[in-house]
Amino acid sequence: MILRIDGKQIEAKKWDTILSAAKRNGISIPSLCHHDALENVGACRLCVVEVKTSSNGERKLVTACEYKVAPHIEVFTHSEAVRRSRQTTLDLLLARAPENKLLLDLSRENGVESTSYSTSPDANECILCYLCTRACEKMGCNAISAVGRGQGKSIQPPFLTVPDACVGCGSCAAICPTGFIEMIDMPSKRVIWGKEFERAKCESCGAPLIPVAYREWAIANRELPEDYYLQCQECKRKELASKFSGLGVS
Amino acid sequence: MEKTLVVIPSKCTGCGTCKLACSMVKGKGEIIARSRIHIHTTGPDSHVQTTCLQCVEAACMKACDTGALVRNVETGAIEVNADRCIGCGLCEIACPFGHMHFNLQTGKSEKCDLCGGDPACARFCPHGALEYK
Ligand code: FES
Repeated sequence: MILRIDGKQIEAKKWDTILSAAKRNGISIPSLCHHDALENVGACRLCVVEVKTSSNGERKLVTACEYKVAPHIEVFTHSEAVRRSRQTTLDLLLARAPENKLLLDLSRENGVESTSYSTSPDANECILCYLCTRACEKMGCNAISAVGRGQGKSIQPPFLTVPDACVGCGSCAAICPTGFIEMIDMPSKRVIWGKEFERAKCESCGAPLIPVAYREWAIANRELPEDYYLQCQECKRKELASKFSGLGVS
Repeated sequence: MEKTLVVIPSKCTGCGTCKLACSMVKGKGEIIARSRIHIHTTGPDSHVQTTCLQCVEAACMKACDTGALVRNVETGAIEVNADRCIGCGLCEIACPFGHMHFNLQTGKSEKCDLCGGDPACARFCPHGALEYK
């Protein structure tokens, strides 16, 4: 189907959202909480664009990550209303995490230097984008959720105690855009959400691997032989190399 | 049929040009340790290069539950679609050959994608020890 974004005619698929259609056509719309493998929740409001439908000609602000394309709609990604909405969103996000590099960069790109709101003493870098909770859900663990109220609200394990469902996979930390979720890998343990996970060891050289709990989870949840998880990468490569040289490959 | 990256260890001198080429192309030249091709010294004057085998039944693809690993039908390479990677790192630990690399900085996995059909390692190997044919 055909639609227009900023006056440019583009081709979109019927399952596209404005964001996915724009991206495929090289038009960039800022976004924070969208991830291609996770369901959209429209949490950050940064991707807001203006849409004019042909039926009544009215223009309205919508989230590009959630709005499904329709034939002949017109999308504006740089109008005055969009600019103002984006600035307000960033102003509010910055109030939560005034020092955050990613947010500061995004804000400056959009003409916001610092937040005009007062920042709370319990503010932290969690911007409630829900990427971590959705990643956790995707893994099938559902170990974290939003906790608290108001400015102090953030993502945490329920009652601030890590449930057994958390296996220390680290997806939440990897996907967190602001670096709020801290994961520390030490030689013998991984610490995340304040919980310590003992790390498995390479059967051949003793190098630390993923947490034991995560390995058990993987064995139970993925159809792969158990011995795939026993060695570190270096040892696996060495074994491959010695197989190659044993074959006398030439 | 699609081409294959062939390693010829008997011609490898261990010079590391392939690793340099790989990290220039894939890591913007920053860290040679992040090269996706590796050289192993297996004896005096004997070296073996290892890289992703682009397995037909790939463990990395079975480990990935988000569709972030996709086979490129033209080159046969398994490629990472970073936009779909959630950073669980399971593909890295699942690969039985140690050729999936999880980048802690970006929180995404990385691997050899045969440079889209023109692998830099083979192009720059000065000894003909890597061929793409
Ligand atoms: S990316 Fe659309 S609301 Fe966050």
